[in-house]
Amino acid sequence: MKKNVIGAGIAILIGVAVPLVFRSYWLHVAIIALYYALLASSWTMLAGFSGQFSFATMALGGIGAYTSALLVINVQLPMWLALICGALAATVVGLLIGVLVLRMRGPYLALFTIAFSELVRITLNAEYQLTRGDMGLTVPHLYTTVSKTPYYYTMLGLLVGSLLVMWTVLRSRYGLFFRAIREQEEAAAVMGVNVVRYKIMAFVISSFFAGLAGSFFAHYIGTLTPNSMMEIPRMGLLIAMSVIGGIESLAGAVAGAVLVEFLQEYLRALEMWRFVIFGLALVLILRFSQNGLIYPIYQRFAARRVEPRTVADAEA
Amino acid sequence: MDFFVAQALNGLIIGLLYALIAIGLSLIFSVLKLVNFAHGECCMMGAFVSYYFSTLFGINPLIAVFLSMVVVFLLGVAMQYFFLRPLYTGAVERKDEYAILITFGLGIFFQNLAMSLFGPWTKKSQDFLSGVTSIGFLTVDNNRLVVSFVAIAIVLALLLIINKTFVGKALRAVSQDRDAAAIVGINSHRINMLAFGVGVALAGGAGALIGPIFLISPMMGILPGIKSFVIIVLGGMGSIKGAIIGSLLLGEIESLGSIYLLDPTRGLAYKNAFGVLLLAIVLLVKPTGLFGERHVRME
Repeated sequence: MKKNVIGAGIAILIGVAVPLVFRSYWLHVAIIALYYALLASSWTMLAGFSGQFSFATMALGGIGAYTSALLVINVQLPMWLALICGALAATVVGLLIGVLVLRMRGPYLALFTIAFSELVRITLNAEYQLTRGDMGLTVPHLYTTVSKTPYYYTMLGLLVGSLLVMWTVLRSRYGLFFRAIREQEEAAAVMGVNVVRYKIMAFVISSFFAGLAGSFFAHYIGTLTPNSMMEIPRMGLLIAMSVIGGIESLAGAVAGAVLVEFLQEYLRALEMWRFVIFGLALVLILRFSQNGLIYPIYQRFAARRVEPRTVADAEA
Repeated sequence: MDFFVAQALNGLIIGLLYALIAIGLSLIFSVLKLVNFAHGECCMMGAFVSYYFSTLFGINPLIAVFLSMVVVFLLGVAMQYFFLRPLYTGAVERKDEYAILITFGLGIFFQNLAMSLFGPWTKKSQDFLSGVTSIGFLTVDNNRLVVSFVAIAIVLALLLIINKTFVGKALRAVSQDRDAAAIVGINSHRINMLAFGVGVALAGGAGALIGPIFLISPMMGILPGIKSFVIIVLGGMGSIKGAIIGSLLLGEIESLGSIYLLDPTRGLAYKNAFGVLLLAIVLLVKPTGLFGERHVRME
């Protein structure tokens, strides 16, 4: 517990110091890495802690991005209000999907969300009068400066704040319900957990953070296209980030996202082959080390003295 | 009226291709009790294998279809052996989750591999039979006719194997009760391997058949994959009869819906979205689908 706080403090300090070391291009990479870190941790909260597998995280991020962008462009809404509206739009969509699909057990959420992602992509491409489709929608920037430093600190703040909220939820009794549902739905139901309600709750919270990440991304990057934002392979990359970091740890998701994003920039010379490597890493890690790569290393060194763990006390 | 019949025929041909893919997915689900999220990518692999067989080695494209089915069968057997077998030996906790992630991960791996190996550009496979055939007022591309007959032949052969042979009986036995099948001496690992191989080979065959009609590309598997998910939920998870009827239904809905429901330009753009709406309606009204029993989990 105490170690976690110290670890998080060190991580935040490193995060704050990044703009002092990295300039323009690599700072851009760092911002994108933090954006993926938020998406990956929202996915991890849902998949790793609640056992519900969704392939719609990128699509929900896209809904947040387009909602916020279109509100600013067409209704001239203030930027910060549009950002919140973007996140709320993703939340509402998440709630609708949850109510429709999470009543059932089994692979229905995965089946529906993968189809839903394509539906969103097709719709955004088809309504090109509004979204400009693949030509790209030009979105007003959040700040007027060309410097990337303000964006970096905004994204870092969003990420830290979001992680704090997710961590608090997961430490609370709701987090306990989520984990109970993950372990065995029947048993959780017998113990009095309203399984459907808490599955939906986990999905809605996760959708909110995906939408938040997406709407910030829109006003940072400045150009949106449906394909680059929410193609299925991108969802695959996001899952690879979470899995490499360790699917049952928020810190792991952040570390995995940062690692994979920097690696994929560093390995640009390999062109498409770097994604083959990530794909291979994803399946091999799933097959041979289900706790990911980073989390077991962390456990080995940082948390060597393992306290007697109870389910309620499991690290979030 | 003429236009309606022509569109209906088109829908039927597309539906037959969907049937090949969806039957494969349904077969895998009924025996292995998992959804293969790499199914569309197996379809794409089949398309590329048959494309290279016919362009590089000059093999007749129709024979290349069957060769590509064999290749994809072997690929499926390998996938099953290396990645899915642990599900049935007790080596994996939380099996449902592992099954979703590992098959999805394999699909992403195949997509990226195909992007790197074959390039992102679309390719056109060789015709099975060039020209068109006119029947009364209908004019049909010969490729589509050949594809329909081959697809029907494959489906009939498969139904014959499943319903009339000993292997088919073993497949059905394992799908009903893995332990009971093991007691009477059926090697369920071998049946798993066979079901997964045959299932993805059907998707591969469909991909190879799609080649000459539509263009092929590394991303071509995503939509057929998603449509086969829609179909097996619509028809009932694990039901082969449901998969066939669901496929024909979806083919017709897409074909007719795109011209009668919306204005034509929008209709074409949204054609691929009908399946998702259909999926939402099925999940809302009757989640078990047309012929489905209650969802069966992995033990």
